[in-house]
Amino acid sequence: MSILRSRKRRITDEIPTSAMADIAFLLLIFFLMATAFPRDQGLRVVLPEESGVVEVGQSDVFQIIILPDGTIRVREGDAAERSVLPRELEAIWQEQAAVNSEMVAAVQTHPAAEHRHMISVLDALQLAGAGRISLQMLEIEP
Amino acid sequence: MSIRRAGFARRSKALTQIPGCSLADIAFLLLIFFMVSTAFRRETERPIEWPTAAATQQIDEKHDDIMYVWVERTGEVFINDLSVPMEEVAALIEPLSAASGSSLTISLRADARVPYIFIDQLQTQLKRAGTRRVVFATDLERRMATN
Repeated sequence: MSILRSRKRRITDEIPTSAMADIAFLLLIFFLMATAFPRDQGLRVVLPEESGVVEVGQSDVFQIIILPDGTIRVREGDAAERSVLPRELEAIWQEQAAVNSEMVAAVQTHPAAEHRHMISVLDALQLAGAGRISLQMLEIEP
Repeated sequence: MSIRRAGFARRSKALTQIPGCSLADIAFLLLIFFMVSTAFRRETERPIEWPTAAATQQIDEKHDDIMYVWVERTGEVFINDLSVPMEEVAALIEPLSAASGSSLTISLRADARVPYIFIDQLQTQLKRAGTRRVVFATDLERRMATN
């Protein structure tokens, strides 16, 4: 009787893989939720050293003044100041750079002017291929 | 007399089920993609209005070499989710800049409408910390062709 009742034990030597797809989907959902694609983009500048002072001749300076309301005023060398639009700045700089390749763009922003106005000027200068840009705050006489 | 008419018509063997055997492969493929491309958030984004610029460039530096400095419209500075007084920014960044061997890039994420005085103060602090590589974070401005 006991011989008839005894059954052969079936032990498989395989790793069960039926749950593998479930695990993969679980991990997939986790990474889908956790992923944050970085948006590292912007306008690249290199700041000068803290003690670094570079002497530039007046004729090599293209002065750009940004007023609190976003008005942009430019002065080329000894010429009188004039107002320009941000989109005009690109062409003006290219004209200047064609005449004098050593030209430095000195951007002086009023302390109360919004950051976006400085960005629009920096944007125009970088589009025009300006390499030497100085960012300063406009000194206001008391 | 055809077989069909004699009642011996064969049943079609076309399956009505969607084959699911490659599902796991697709899942693994996507899983590997997301595992490789994932960069876990180190800090929460501040609610700022992004300035736009047409000359916006993608920054290719390694994620670990970029430090985010947020400036809100009020002029408040945030680094790693913490509000940092303006005069303490240099002291906080200086050791990190020195440890990175001057390869640290500061991504300056300032609100479009923040007064420039705060940006100027921050630049002074960054120069004091010995950091020279700065990116003014912007969104890409798409311009209409004028020609």
